[in-house]
Amino acid sequence: MADIGRVKLAVPGSVRRGSVARVRALVIHPQERVERQGGRSVDRNYRFVNRVVVTYLGREIALIEPSTAVSENPTFTIPFRATEAGPLKVTFFDSHGVKFEGTAEVKVT
Amino acid sequence: MLGAMNRNLTRRAWLGLAAIAVAAWRPRPARAQGYLANLAPEEPIGETMKRLFGGRPIKDGASVITIDMPLIAEDGGSVPIAVDVKSPMTAENHVKAIYILAEKNPRPLNVKIGLTPAAGQAYVVTNLRLADSGPIRVVAETGDGSLWIATRDVRVTVAGCAA
Repeated sequence: MADIGRVKLAVPGSVRRGSVARVRALVIHPQERVERQGGRSVDRNYRFVNRVVVTYLGREIALIEPSTAVSENPTFTIPFRATEAGPLKVTFFDSHGVKFEGTAEVKVT
Repeated sequence: MLGAMNRNLTRRAWLGLAAIAVAAWRPRPARAQGYLANLAPEEPIGETMKRLFGGRPIKDGASVITIDMPLIAEDGGSVPIAVDVKSPMTAENHVKAIYILAEKNPRPLNVKIGLTPAAGQAYVVTNLRLADSGPIRVVAETGDGSLWIATRDVRVTVAGCAA
């Protein structure tokens, strides 16, 4: 788990202007699940990604609110309409107040 | 003299109490959001639906929502799901949120995906943790607040001890 917080983004090499492309975002993260003891949930500060913000050219595309019932190393594929070349940024926030971000350059033809 | 001291003490005590009260009432800092109190409660899916959507009518969205998932998931800890909702994604008519819920999970809401028209499509792919075989519900909320639902059954071979 040494890699916690590494963000990987995959966008197509180039996108036709005006068409819809998809970004696949992944963060290396344990996404802890709630433990149970004797049928009851244990109360502690579980560490999981609970907010993901996707922006393109500085505008918000998606705001995702995952729970602990999203798999370890959370990954999301989100569409965006490629209007012009520019940065696509995905920021993951976890329940311990840590943020992880990744940026990909979108090339438009 | 005594009166003044008394007043002083009283004021000091009052300030102290006020300070304690303020400290106690301060919301938990951002780094402590993982406690059970900040998670969705453990509840049957009916309660979650009520909590999320109140009494709002939910229309059958089988014709507009496509759920792509394996029929049999070997590992409940990571079950891929792709949701595609037919929508023009214009400012007037777009899907503003997709909710993915697993009926058999102790906390049924897996994830909420909020979208803007700039997404161009109402589509999402992710991996879920599923506690047991059962239906997955996908609810799409459009910009005007109307709700659509579609369900899919999934068989889980090894439970994901989900959340």
